[in-house]
Amino acid sequence: MTNRPVLVGGILLAVLGSLGPFLWFVMTSFKSQIQVEAIPPTWWPDGNLGFYASALIEHRLFHYVRNSVIVAGATTIITLAVATPAAYALARLRPQGTAWLLGGLLCVAMFPPIVMAGPIWQILDSLGGLNTHWGLVLPYVSLTLPLAVWILTTFFQELPFELDEAARIDGCTAWQALSKVLLPLAAPGLFTTAILTFIYAWNEFFFALLILTDPEQQTLPVGIALFQGEFIMPWGEIAAASVIATLPLIIVVLLFQRGIINGLSFGAVKG
Amino acid sequence: MAGLVLQHIEKTFGRTRVLHDVSLEAGDGEFVVLLGPSGCGKSTLLRIIAGLEPQTRGSVHIGGRCVDDVSPPDRDIAMVFQHYALYPHLTVRENLAFGLKMRREPKPVIEERIAETAALLEIHDLLDRKPRALSGGQRQRVAMGRAIVRKPALFLFDEPLSNLDARLRTSMRVELKKLHRRLGTTMVYVTHDQAEAMTLGHTIAIMHHGRIQQIGRPDQIYQKPVNPFVAGFIGNPPMNLFEGSYRLHQRDLEFRAGDLTLRVPFQAHDLAGTDAGTATLGIRPEDVTFEPPESSHVAIAGTIDLIENLGGDAMVYLIVREQILTARTFPVLRQQAGDSVTTHWPMDKLHLFINQRRVPLGSS
Repeated sequence: MTNRPVLVGGILLAVLGSLGPFLWFVMTSFKSQIQVEAIPPTWWPDGNLGFYASALIEHRLFHYVRNSVIVAGATTIITLAVATPAAYALARLRPQGTAWLLGGLLCVAMFPPIVMAGPIWQILDSLGGLNTHWGLVLPYVSLTLPLAVWILTTFFQELPFELDEAARIDGCTAWQALSKVLLPLAAPGLFTTAILTFIYAWNEFFFALLILTDPEQQTLPVGIALFQGEFIMPWGEIAAASVIATLPLIIVVLLFQRGIINGLSFGAVKG
Repeated sequence: MAGLVLQHIEKTFGRTRVLHDVSLEAGDGEFVVLLGPSGCGKSTLLRIIAGLEPQTRGSVHIGGRCVDDVSPPDRDIAMVFQHYALYPHLTVRENLAFGLKMRREPKPVIEERIAETAALLEIHDLLDRKPRALSGGQRQRVAMGRAIVRKPALFLFDEPLSNLDARLRTSMRVELKKLHRRLGTTMVYVTHDQAEAMTLGHTIAIMHHGRIQQIGRPDQIYQKPVNPFVAGFIGNPPMNLFEGSYRLHQRDLEFRAGDLTLRVPFQAHDLAGTDAGTATLGIRPEDVTFEPPESSHVAIAGTIDLIENLGGDAMVYLIVREQILTARTFPVLRQQAGDSVTTHWPMDKLHLFINQRRVPLGSS
């Protein structure tokens, strides 16, 4: 118990350290232009909503939100749809070299994006995918797939084999065993994968900047970054836009968290 | 009509052969127990019967129909798994209904069957619970219910009681026996527990190293084990087995293991001219007596090493001619550890194995 003050202090420091910049942004977003530029800086905003109005109307923020929802949503759905059967096959059929395959997937996930930027741009150029949403979704899917397959495989591996066999004897095909028995039990894994994929696609900047040059197609991170003009730096609008961009992520995580906590896999076998 | 026929089943995993030429027949309504130590291939054999694992060679017939090319759901079987394998996200009722729904049985039929099964197993109160809210014994019942509700031609049990504590195991064993009598369906039951095998089975097939060692009624296997493995595996405490050599004389056989020598009446017709070699002699602990019996016997002196008093009876561990001998006595002996006693081994209770095969003793 003597360590308690140290522990609490450490936790506070860690929380403040990671939340601090974000809190500063939230406060900035509610300031007025005069407050933003004041020296020395003022701490408390006066509750001005001007930056929000300017970000939403002048900078057409909802238009970027829409693009991001389309791209991140499509990426999440496609990644899950491909990763789930792949992980199921790896976990259950155990083809030769499963360990190598999983290891290779992790290696692929570690490539620095700049290495792939050139080839991806050229491929998309020849396919006509530049400045389209699917042109961005395609590399996102291939970049998030390795981690998704990895996570789902470990989840499937933890489910007892007897469940598949019971389902088979009860009359299920492999697909039915997957959809009716294993998927409901692997729900926490699916939620985790979905969150990670969605966050990645929502926040990704580099490829989005590279592939989408047409403002009509751009996603949030690129859109917000391009708020700045040649001579001005609209800090207030950027702060307001960032808050709006972060809100959906927080909502998604809170929604899915419930699914993760409801770990369903208890009681399948003797506990 | 035969409930189950296995013909020359062989199974190899890669280069390892886990089943060698296994043939077995179970009559309609018979309760067959596959008994053996872990790794003997009994579970693999069960999975082959279920169709979860293809055999390398041989064929499986269920209810007179060859099912080699029939998938598990169409084999008309139900299986109870060692770890129950209940669907955790479904209630007990949905667990029971799952297999029937997959077979597109009409709803009234499903409900009727569930009611029937719940009444039979007394699990009415549990129907709306999830498996995680059940105790081990209740999960076991539900797992059996999921098998019964389908009314299959053949039940397969894979060590279903091994996860229960000792008392619950004994009571479930009794219930299982009653259940079999009521349903009258053929059952194949895998276990490594000889008490389960002896009490449940009409027929026991003892397996070791992927081969069936002996098939027979429980009393046959107990009284006439065909080889030293079966002799040592069946019986608790295990049979005393002495490894030694034999030499044939005119009318009897001399067995020698270290300092232990004894002569037993014997007719040499079975041994095809070999009049000496290695042999194993066995006697069950409960057949060793401390008072001379009326039948013919050999008397061997020994020293008591340790006595375990179990209340009704006692286990006596002795040293006879530098060999360890276990005896089970009733009533409890008055002697103590360190005392010298004479043990009596009735002739008709001795088991002799030559070339790993049982050879009959006696002059008749």
